[in-house]
Amino acid sequence: MEALAVEGLVKTYPGGRRTPAVEAVRGISFSVAPGEFFGLLGPNGAGKSTTLGCITTLVRPTAGRIRVDGIDVARDPRGAKRRIAVVPQNRNLDRDLTVREVLTYHGRYFGLPSREREERADRLLHEMQLAEKARDRPLTLSGGMQQRLMIARALMHDPSVLLLDEPTTGLDPQARRMLWETLRALHGGGLTLILTTHNMEEADRLCQRVAIVDHGRILTLDSPAGLKRGLPGGRILDLWLGGSAPLAARLGALAGVMRVEKVERHGDDGDLERLRLFVEPGDGLLDRVLHSVREAGADLHHVSLASPSLEDVYIHLTGKELRE
Amino acid sequence: MTAFLALLRRDLVVASRNAGALLMATLTQPILVVLVFGNILPRLHLVADEFRTVMVPGLMSITMLMAGVQGVLMPLAADLSGSREVDERLLAPITVRGVALEKVVAGAVHAAVAGLTALPAMILLMHRVSGIDVHPRWAVLLPLVAATGLLSAAFGLTLGTHIQPRYSGLLFAVVIGPMMLFGCAYYPWAALDVLGPLQYLFLLNPLVFMSEAIRYAVTPDVAHMPLPLLLGGLAVFVALFTELGSRSFAGRTIS
Repeated sequence: MEALAVEGLVKTYPGGRRTPAVEAVRGISFSVAPGEFFGLLGPNGAGKSTTLGCITTLVRPTAGRIRVDGIDVARDPRGAKRRIAVVPQNRNLDRDLTVREVLTYHGRYFGLPSREREERADRLLHEMQLAEKARDRPLTLSGGMQQRLMIARALMHDPSVLLLDEPTTGLDPQARRMLWETLRALHGGGLTLILTTHNMEEADRLCQRVAIVDHGRILTLDSPAGLKRGLPGGRILDLWLGGSAPLAARLGALAGVMRVEKVERHGDDGDLERLRLFVEPGDGLLDRVLHSVREAGADLHHVSLASPSLEDVYIHLTGKELRE
Repeated sequence: MTAFLALLRRDLVVASRNAGALLMATLTQPILVVLVFGNILPRLHLVADEFRTVMVPGLMSITMLMAGVQGVLMPLAADLSGSREVDERLLAPITVRGVALEKVVAGAVHAAVAGLTALPAMILLMHRVSGIDVHPRWAVLLPLVAATGLLSAAFGLTLGTHIQPRYSGLLFAVVIGPMMLFGCAYYPWAALDVLGPLQYLFLLNPLVFMSEAIRYAVTPDVAHMPLPLLLGGLAVFVALFTELGSRSFAGRTIS
């Protein structure tokens, strides 16, 4: 049995008198096996958080069915809530309790007997390196610590599926790396994890399978390696060009260039044109490309040659850079 | 039920930690009113002695209204507008309605404690003043305090979930203020028969039933509303505001 099964999920927020209806999720289906580390990758507004909200009962789906450990979330929300745990995007720690009480009260909400509650709180504080902060208030902790406290809180009731909504957003690189280690350790311990992120590197490093989501739909779903293998050619050659010489057709005709895509820009140097070449590296390829650029009279600003990343998969699928 | 009781325990523990500030916030007003209207003005012969007796249950019900409304409204406003601590509760194994009802019960406890502290404080402040006729009948008072507390907290839930937090200041000026003036706190409802049929218009104000309930239990010798009307009114308003409040709570928290 799957740890999580989402079938034909649709969520439309009804519009008001002046606001149009928003189709946040337009038919998403996927399933997650027990013990899997699964990722939903996509830009802000893609429908990731709404999907997570539907799984956790905080958002009422317009259509579709969700089962957690075989339990229908709509029919038995309380049963489903016992099996899932959530680390939400905004830090919603109970600011009137101490760090340790955040855990023990969460245990009380789930009816944990007192001894189990106390033991588990102590163990999780230790594992999340928060033991010294046990008597402090949550808001006095650093961002990374608050994030670890939210994970500890989520683990108090021994869930079978842990959902994390953009857990590393706003963390400094060190705290982010520490959180990744924590998530890897939890996965190693057999927990099923579902992560939403707009960070390609995060999805690539952590997840066994990734669904790329945009505009409320899943564009593709595979392992990170499988997604990258699906791209034409073995390498990506990016060219940033000034001016607008008609280069794409010319470059596409070169030997070793499998495909040329024009990328929609969002960044600071948005006035430059970005061409993305899917290439099979071989003798003289770079020479041929540079020669064509020069011949066309285009102004080459910079070049990069790299192995494909998930970002390349995203750009290939959507024709645009991921909006951060 | 486990989750409900655990949430209630959490709210009461947190409230008891802030007990000093909470009591100060709720007791300052009735104590000052008693000092002026129950002590200074009668000595200056500017108000009748009987006013002191009439005022005590009214001030107690106002204290409970404020405590119940504030006890639910303030944390709810913060929660819905930003902190979203409520999401943790909604993810506990309890229904959305259960989370809303817990807020009503916690607010009712808050209101009851405020009312039961205010009453002896007021009696104490006026103990040397003549003409006061307050004899609490505790066995009647306690269940009526519970019902009054539930009404004020359910009213707080209804207001808190219907009104944008930025308007909560306005709320006290436009809703709570008039309610207090027309809530039979400073005069018994029975005496309003001088107004003719207008007397029945006052029954739209839930505070009237709260004041009359406390009046019935604390100053039994003052004319009061007939018991069936009193209990019926309390029951209708508790049911109405609990239903309205928990419905709009669900609307505000589950999208």
